[in-house]
Amino acid sequence: MIWRFGLLDSVFAPLAPSHWALACALVLPLLAGVVAACVPPRRTWPVLAVCVLVVACGAWLMMDAWQAGLLRWQWSVAGVTIALRLNGLGALLLVVSQCVAAAAALYAPGFLRLESPGPQARWLWPLMGVTLFALSLVWMAADLLTLYAGLELLSLAAVGMLVLSGKPAALEAGMRYLLLTLVGSLTYLMGVALIIGHWGELSLARLAEVVEPGAVAWIAASLLGAGLALKAALFPLHGWLTPVHQSAWTPVSALHAGLVIKASLYILILLWSILLPETHWAPRFVAWLGALGIVWGGLIAWRAQTLKTLVASSTVAQLGYLMVAFPLLLGPGVAPIAKSLAWQGFWLQLLGHALAKSAMFLAAGNLILATGESSLAGLAGTSRRLPLSLLIFGIASITLMGLPPSAGFTAKWLLLHAMVLEGHWVAVAALLIGTLLTAAYMFRMFRYSFDETAPRHHYQPLGRGMDAIALVLALAALVMGLLAHLPLALLQGGDA
Amino acid sequence: MLASIDLWEGALALLLGLAALVCLFDRHVLRAAWAFCVFALLMTLAWAWLGAPWLAAAELVLGVLLTGASLFHALGAFEGRFSRFSFRDLSRLERAYPIDTFRGPMSHRLTRALLTLAWCIMVGAVIRIVMPAMTYAPSEHPLMLVAVLLVGTAMGAFALHRHRLRRLLAFNVLGAGVFLLMVGLAGTIEGAQALVAVGLLIAGLGSLAGALLIRRLRAHEDDADDEHMAVGGGR
Repeated sequence: MIWRFGLLDSVFAPLAPSHWALACALVLPLLAGVVAACVPPRRTWPVLAVCVLVVACGAWLMMDAWQAGLLRWQWSVAGVTIALRLNGLGALLLVVSQCVAAAAALYAPGFLRLESPGPQARWLWPLMGVTLFALSLVWMAADLLTLYAGLELLSLAAVGMLVLSGKPAALEAGMRYLLLTLVGSLTYLMGVALIIGHWGELSLARLAEVVEPGAVAWIAASLLGAGLALKAALFPLHGWLTPVHQSAWTPVSALHAGLVIKASLYILILLWSILLPETHWAPRFVAWLGALGIVWGGLIAWRAQTLKTLVASSTVAQLGYLMVAFPLLLGPGVAPIAKSLAWQGFWLQLLGHALAKSAMFLAAGNLILATGESSLAGLAGTSRRLPLSLLIFGIASITLMGLPPSAGFTAKWLLLHAMVLEGHWVAVAALLIGTLLTAAYMFRMFRYSFDETAPRHHYQPLGRGMDAIALVLALAALVMGLLAHLPLALLQGGDA
Repeated sequence: MLASIDLWEGALALLLGLAALVCLFDRHVLRAAWAFCVFALLMTLAWAWLGAPWLAAAELVLGVLLTGASLFHALGAFEGRFSRFSFRDLSRLERAYPIDTFRGPMSHRLTRALLTLAWCIMVGAVIRIVMPAMTYAPSEHPLMLVAVLLVGTAMGAFALHRHRLRRLLAFNVLGAGVFLLMVGLAGTIEGAQALVAVGLLIAGLGSLAGALLIRRLRAHEDDADDEHMAVGGGR
């Protein structure tokens, strides 16, 4: 498992331009955020220029990681070693994060023009920059300190972005999220304290060598797991998720639901594969919770009254798909072929969901902005007036439902294959029920929007690019399924 | 045996525990905020005692100054309408800084107490396994003992309270307990110090964000109250 995360010694040193690309990919979002806070961009093109540069750096790093297999950087600051590493998986996550963040940033000027918020809107830019910086750090971190710093920075920036809309409901939900996420991070820190108290290692690769199964590993893993599950909104701890999205700004929701919660999930599976390799009960427990989460999230989304509740609850269910794959990735005695399939399916599902969910949040935000209503019943008549926004919502829901040829389909196919090989029939049932429930709540939304008997009311015209950005994201999720061999080759990391 | 117990360290630990208990369980929120400032100053001393001067400096700046200022800002202490004189006028003071009178139903308190108990057992197990010496001579590690007390009671207080500022206080005390445990378990190696420093920074920033949010929420609630009063008066 460990080599899949790239926790090895690298063979080749990074190319000289890669150092620059790394610096650029990390620092440029921060710099651009500060500049944009001073001079808020009113038009899209300056944002586009920065985004293209950042994504180009990410793409360069991906190419280098593809050729070298693994890139490593290491610095020593005041006796503390800080290490970054980038393998195929990390590069893929990095580029997808940059693309989603770029889409959210490109969407923001048009959105802010229509929303006409107060002066606090300028804070959106630095917070977005910090979010992307922290995400990149989390994907690349190779020691516990960097991981912790990235995770914490990410949580604080996420809270800040989510409360920017300034509505009382948003503030209330944001306060709750802030307290929970801070306490979650302290629980996580307790686990880390236990690890360095017992093994005295901060570097993940060396930790993997010295860890021995036993009570310490179990307690540390459960502390880390509890904190991270709270931050990732995994099933029984998801209560804060829907209220937070209910009144947040659209680009912020897209970024948060697509990426921020995935970072905690990534850290969870990374640390558990170090601390609890080949254990039976812990991943099994997570998988049971995931199966319940699929059903529960689906039912809540089915009963939802507002569009944002529907989209946010569907996140809970979609995270359940990832949770049911835990025993395949961490369990004992899983056949290599099943493990490999589950590994590919897991990350493809995570990436496809990140793209599709952000596209769906942007499309939902467009619908809400145009109709001025947030309830599902208020969508009546949109099929005639806003066909493009509805089409984007539909394309994104293809990925979430897992219909071919989307990334969701390929991912579920791989996961199902692995589950059938290993005989995890409950997980298979959960996956199938989840698909049916997803179809049910998505088609319920379409039933409302195809209602032609609605009274005519005023529609707010949208900015030119706003639908186009959401469309690109939704199509990216679809194309990722069609061209799945490219990300899968990167995920496999050369050998295997 | 008794001679090996360091009196100074014991006194420091005792004071830390007392300040934390006042901070967590005083229903008078302003007094609790003052208690937190005292607690953070004692933490500064504790870091200096443990041989981590940089952490002491960070605690002084982030814990005492930033978090203290944030807490008083959340209480509205820097606003013109609650001037220094109102601190002496008890009735106005109580209106300005209401005493948290929330009492959950018995079942709520019982479940929270059970959860806290489970948490304390887990923390105890951690200590038992990682520091076996601690179990045989607990009185030789007074700061570790108080760290366990802090982590246990603060988690309980966080689960029990509904008042926003008191939850923020509970989070801060919990953080202090976790940092002490970290240094107690790992010693003052650079890695542990760096982790604690990052944790202190995040706790300070988190308190600041929490205080700003509480302030905004309070303003919204006051507006809603005013509107309510206006509607009632018009009728």
